[in-house]
Parts: sequence; C-alpha cells; structure tokens
Amino acid sequence: MRRALAALVGFIALAGVASAQPFVWPQKWTVAKPSEVKRGGTIREAVISDYRTFNPFITAEAGNVPSLLAGPIGLVRRDPTTGDWIPYMAESWSVSPNKLEITFKIRRGMKWSDGQPITADDWIMTWRIHTDKAVGSNSYDSFFIDGKPITLRKIDDYTIRFIYPKTDAEAFAVASFAPWPAHIFGPVYQREGAEGIKKMWTLNEKPENIVSGGPWLIESYRPGERLVLKRNPAFGEWNKDEAGNPLPYLDRREIRIVKDTNAQLAEFLAGNIDLMAPATVDHISQIRQAIQQGRLDATIKVNASPVASSQFMVFNWNKASDPFKQSLFRSDKFRRAMSHIVNRQAVIDIVYGGLGTPMYSSVYPVLTQWVNPKVPKYEYNLQQAAKLLAELGFTKKDRDGYLVDSKGRRLEFNLSTNAGNVQREQIAKLIVDEAKKVGVKVNFTAIDFNTLVGQLLSSGPDRPFDAIIIGLTGGGLDWPFGSNVVPCKGNLHMWNKSGQCLDPRETQLDALYSRGRTELDFKKRVEIGYRMQEIEAQLLPVIYIAGPNYHPAWNNRLGGEHPDAIISSIWGQRQLELTFIKK
Amino acid sequence: MTAYILRRILYLIPTFFGATFLAFLIIQLAPGDYLTQLELDPKVTPETIARLRSQFGLDRPIHEQYLLWMHNLLHLNLGYSFAYQAPVLDVIWPRVVNSMVIVVPSTLLLFLVAIPVGVYGALRQYSVGDRVISFLAYIGLAIPNFFLALIFMYLILQVYFRTGVMVFPVSGMTSSGFEQFDSWKKILDIAWHAVIPIIVVTTSDIAGFSRVMRGQMLEVLSQDYIRTARAKGLAERVVVYKHALRNAVIPFVANIGGILPGLISGAGLVEVVMAWPGITPLLLDSLQQQDLYMVAGFLTIGLVLLMVGNLLSDLLLTWVDPRIRYE
Repeated sequence: MRRALAALVGFIALAGVASAQPFVWPQKWTVAKPSEVKRGGTIREAVISDYRTFNPFITAEAGNVPSLLAGPIGLVRRDPTTGDWIPYMAESWSVSPNKLEITFKIRRGMKWSDGQPITADDWIMTWRIHTDKAVGSNSYDSFFIDGKPITLRKIDDYTIRFIYPKTDAEAFAVASFAPWPAHIFGPVYQREGAEGIKKMWTLNEKPENIVSGGPWLIESYRPGERLVLKRNPAFGEWNKDEAGNPLPYLDRREIRIVKDTNAQLAEFLAGNIDLMAPATVDHISQIRQAIQQGRLDATIKVNASPVASSQFMVFNWNKASDPFKQSLFRSDKFRRAMSHIVNRQAVIDIVYGGLGTPMYSSVYPVLTQWVNPKVPKYEYNLQQAAKLLAELGFTKKDRDGYLVDSKGRRLEFNLSTNAGNVQREQIAKLIVDEAKKVGVKVNFTAIDFNTLVGQLLSSGPDRPFDAIIIGLTGGGLDWPFGSNVVPCKGNLHMWNKSGQCLDPRETQLDALYSRGRTELDFKKRVEIGYRMQEIEAQLLPVIYIAGPNYHPAWNNRLGGEHPDAIISSIWGQRQLELTFIKK
Repeated sequence: MTAYILRRILYLIPTFFGATFLAFLIIQLAPGDYLTQLELDPKVTPETIARLRSQFGLDRPIHEQYLLWMHNLLHLNLGYSFAYQAPVLDVIWPRVVNSMVIVVPSTLLLFLVAIPVGVYGALRQYSVGDRVISFLAYIGLAIPNFFLALIFMYLILQVYFRTGVMVFPVSGMTSSGFEQFDSWKKILDIAWHAVIPIIVVTTSDIAGFSRVMRGQMLEVLSQDYIRTARAKGLAERVVVYKHALRNAVIPFVANIGGILPGLISGAGLVEVVMAWPGITPLLLDSLQQQDLYMVAGFLTIGLVLLMVGNLLSDLLLTWVDPRIRYE
C-alpha cells in the first residue's frame, strides 16, 4: 500500500513536470502526413549578406542570427492558413473591458536550451533591454504607440500583462516579440547596464554560450562563410506534430553566405543548396530548364504571389521656388494624367519578364484581405492623359513637340531614382517614353541612393526634387498603412513634408489612419482600410506602378512544404520546423 | 644606413596623417551616412535615427570625428564597426586570413611562373613558343577576373551535368559538414576549394607580369655590358642569369613594397563571385553601408603596410643593385 502510494505520488510529480501542454503544429500547415516524415538530416540554405552579431538587442539586419534561433517563438503567433493570432508560448489570454490591457497565461514547462524554465521574467527583462535608449535596439519603436510607451507587468511567474496607452490594432504583433533568457542578460544588465549588454554575444562568442528558446542553437559559425544551426531539444519538448513527434524534424541547418546571386543559382542547380527564391526571369528559366532536362530534381512555383512591397512615383508638393510646378504637382488632375501614362503592363513585360503584378494602391497586392477591389484604377490610357492635361490648359505644343500652357510654359519635370537599381531605371525610361508621346518632357537621372533619400525626406516649403521613383516594404497584416507614411506629420509622408495637411483628403486619411490603428475589430478595420483606399484613389498622393512576383523553389529532397494555398511572399514556402529530408 | 632608416621613418609620420585624413575626408564626403538606409524603414521613427546618430558620433563635425578616431588609433584601437557593433580588427582579421589562402599561393605562383616565362620570351624572341605565350598573355589580360570565374563555374556545372562528377566546387571555401572533418581532411578540403580562385587570380597577373619581365629582359640583353660579358667569353648561362636577370628584376624589387598591402587587400571580385569569405565582400558591404570606421580602419592598415613595404623594398634595392647607396 505504502509502495503503491509512493508510486502514485511519483506518478503525480512526474505528471506535474510533464503537464506542459505541448503546442501541436496543425496538419494543415504542411502537405506531409506525420507518417511519411523522416527525422534527421541537414537542410542547406544560402543568404546574400553576412551575419553581424548573435546579440538579439543590437541586431539590425533582416534574417539575423537571433531571429533564426528564435524562429516563431513569442506569446502569440499567426496561423498562416487564416492570418489570425493564436496562442503559442501563452496558453490563453484575456482582454480587459476597456481593451487597454491584455493578460497572457504563459505555457508551463517550457525551457531554455540550458535547462532553465522560461517564465514571465524573461519577457520583462527582454522588454526592459529593448526599450533602454542607450542599448539602441532596433525594436525600440515597436514598444511605443504615438510616442507613448507600452508597459509590461509580471503578475506571477506564469502570468504577464501588457498595458497599452491606447487601443491598438497591432496589440498582438507587439506581444509576439521573442523572449530572451533573463538569467543570462539580467545580471549583466544590472551590473554594467546598456554597455554591458552591447558587449555580449558578439560573433566571437562561443556557440555553446548562446542560449535559445527557439527551435535552433548555434553549432558553428565561420565568418563570412557559413552558419550551422542544430536542433534545440528543449524546443521539441513543447512543440509536437499531430502524431506527437517533437519538432523540428531536421538535425541541422547549414546556411552559406553567398553574396553573388549567380553563384547561388549555380549551387542550387548543382544540388548543393535546397532553397532558392530566384528574382530574375533568367534565373527562373535556368531552373525550369534544368528541371525539364532532368538535371535537377526540384520544384519551382512561378508567380506564387506578388511580393510584399510597393513601388511608386512620388511628386513633390513643396516647391515654393517654382510655383508653376508646385501647383501642377498639387493638382490631382495632373497626377491622374501621370497615372494614365504609366504603362504597367509594359513594366511587367519588359522589366519583370512578364512575371509581375500591377499596383494601384498603397496596400500590397499580396494582402488580398485588405485590397479594396472596387477602387477606381487609372490605367494606361494616353488619350485620357492628354484630355486631362488639356483640361489643365495644356493644349498647344511647342516647336519640340512638348505641351505648353497659354503663357508658353512647357510641361516638364525631372525624375530620379537610385542609381544601380536596374529595374527602377528601366521603369523610369518607360515613363519617359510614354510621357513624350503625350507631350510631357521628363528628364530622367539616376542618383546615389543616399542623396535620393536625403532629397525625398527633406522637409519644409521648398524641397529639392520634382519626382522620384522609390518603393517601401514593411506594411503589416493587422493594419497595412504606414504610421510614418499616412499621417501628414509622418517622416515618410514624402509627397508633402510641409508638416501639415494641404489637401482636405490628406486630413481625412490622417483621421482614418488613427481610427483604424485603434480599432480592434478586424472587419471594421478592413472597412476603414477600404474607405482609405477609395480616398487614396481620388487623391493619388503617389502613383503606384508594379512589382515583381515571388517564385519559391526547392530541391525535392525536402518534404513538408506549405500547401499551395498558403505559399506566398508573406508566409514563405514552408515552416522549417515541419520540413524534413525525404532522401 | 641607420640614419637613413630613421630619417625615412620620420618622413612617414606626416605622410601617415595626411593620408589618413584624406581617406577619412573622402569617405565622409559621400552623401548620407550609415543610418541613411534606416530612414526609409516605415517602422523606425526619425527620433530613433537622430538618437542613434548621436550615439555613433555621426552628428559631430568631421574634424572632431577625425581627431577622436586618431586618438583611438594612436592607442592601437582601429575603432568600432557600426554594422557589427564590434572592434574593426576583430571583424577584419578572420577575413584577411581567408583571403591569404588565395593571395599567398597566387603571389608565389606568380613569381615562379611569370619570371621564367618572361625570360623565355626574351631569349627566344619571336619564336613559336614566344608567340604562343604572348597570345595567351593578351587573352589573360583581356578577360576580367570575375568573368573568368563565372566561366569556370559554368564549365564545372556543365561537366557535372554530363558526368555527375564535381571536379572542383562551384563556390565557397569549405564543404558542407566541414566542421566534422579531421584536420587533414580540412586542409585538403580548403585546398580543393582554393584551386579555381588561385588559378583565376594568377592567370591575369601572370599575363601582365610576364610581359613586363620580357620587356625588361630584352632591354637589358641589348645593353653594352652584356655584349662585353659575351665578348669576355662567359658562358651564356652566366650572362643571362648572373648579369642580365639580376638587372632586369630591379624594377620588381622596387615594387615589392606593394606586395605587403596586397597580401591583406584580398583577391578582388573573385571572392564575391565564388563566395570566398575573404576581405573583398566584407569591404564592399562596408563601403555600401558607409560603415565609416570599418573602411577607414582597413585603409589605415593598408597604408601602414604600404609604407613599411616601401621602406623594405628600398633597403632590398641596395642589396640587388650595388649602384644604390644611402650613405
């Protein structure tokens, strides 16, 4: 009896430890069934730029090592099949009645790779260090709404509360940041402050000292050459597939740094790397050819989706020194005429080899939930452009064949883009040609990127450019409008940087932006977004052009890719945690 | 002699300050700075950028930045890389070592091949052998390195597609799974990867170098003292190697100063094209991002090595050329 009781107590204690409810990765995220999956093996990848640091608080580049180690970890994550936020490191959450506080119950039993438990302290410490100005973290701005701080409070070891200064559409995105071990960073931060943090986890740090809560650990790093990651067994204890197998399946990720995309292509064709996202028509056709001729056993999904970025031509509304041009650029009729001269199909055919998508609004075409299909599009139509320009008083042509107004002023402007961006330079030349057909003289120059940015972001009543072709990335799924772009005081409100709204529709957009950002109901937010796109279409603050598409490719030794429906530039081609080596 | 060396070292001081200041100024004259890239990121506020700018010291006047940097330099601190958030030397050093794997053998190979080829061309001027070598040399001179590398990569792939054998690796410095190899296999693996880059770098250099060697040799061979030597009845071998060659190589000895900085400055675009983790890709990135102290620090190391190298080659000259005396 006694022994039985002891056994029972033992069993209960064991159950206490093992009661960590694992997060089960849904079957619908992969095409593979748990029965076909094999464990082990190495995936081989290539990236263009070298890694700079292992330190999560000072890292700045895209695809940095800390984000690789952390993978999806965070209190919440998105379900790629729906786009919804789902609990991940949190078991559940509750939102306060005033919607300003979200309290997360943290999943129990999760551990860091060194065996320490993952608790609320880790989130608190990570947030503290990110928001210390002296550290200079790239995530600093994400913990503020309109300059007011979001605060985190520890309720107990497994409960944490986020307190927002106002209701925020991106509340869950804020809460999804990856935690880092407080027992590693905390003591240093207490002792030496920001300076101590900055010195930690440089590229010279021994891999075994880097602690991760995510799917991967560093095995080795050779500067400028190769990063090797290995499976973190602690992650597998609370991440399982539907059959209960620990994730990830792979033992290793080998990531080579190959700066030249031609070399990347050569390695992919030789079967030496497994993943590729070819960006040019030439690369795509080489991969297709190799597959067709049986030299390479691989899959390529051409035109899987548009890319998540925008590309546009922006006119400068602040030209006090040239009132003629200023009034022209501020006229929506003029801008509509300019939209009519952009031959988006020619851009796609010539610049992107037929593999691109036209753009008409600030919402990236890939964000299909957000795109308002009813918004008017001012498509390529030279007659319409000529008609609009005539309405502006440009009816006669001068000796060189360019339009002039009644005072003999020629319709002419300068256009620039960043030198070295061949695709944008080609787009500019297409615009020059089409403009000439209707009698508008466009003088194109390619200038240095930093000079261009300097001109674009300069502010005041007189800014030093006429028109620029540029693009933006980074719009979110929760609220795809830029906090720096739409508000009239925004730093990237690049058509008008006088510091105030000049057109009543700018004021409207500004107000709608704030309403949408604080609206928690997704449907209502989409409605606001639809309304904003309608106003944008009338105002045409910038003229959207076209962008390339996303074409993921992989070697067929890999299994476990996304179902076709969710392969896109947003969700990528696969979850690496669910990827396995077939052969 | 000692006095001469001391004087030379004294001359180096103003050169050093002048050159570093000029380098610093030119980098700074380029529009924008390291943080300009961030300015187009919709998620970063202008306040954050301004704060980082002042943390990096980029908001101070140029002369102040230079003086601060110089102060650190005199304490043997090359500065801090913005992008890596680490001391410049820590970042540069492993990459320089990787570059040397290509640069050192190719420099040796260059001398071992180019000098005999040049001498042969001069001794057998207008022979079939000379014409063939000249023809190849002109081709070598005409093909840019990076393009030659691409041609090699193409050929390797075609051979692989047809036979299934990877004669040489397409790119990179080590194979997949390198970390698990034993040390002998590691050395062999790197050597296998280095063959093509070394060939690419050396071919064009050999082409140029051997042409100059041939010209030098021809000039010396037509000198009066060579005729005298032959008239004395010296063996042709002695005439060529003791009298002619020794004088023909003097201009090369004078240029040895350039080899030292050449050792650290990497193998050029071949490294980018063939994904060799040398110094060139790193430096290109730093230039693009305007990682100020990285570029300035690297230029400084090159400058110091060039100055030391020049001094060395001047001293070597007294040894090969008895006519030169610094007393």
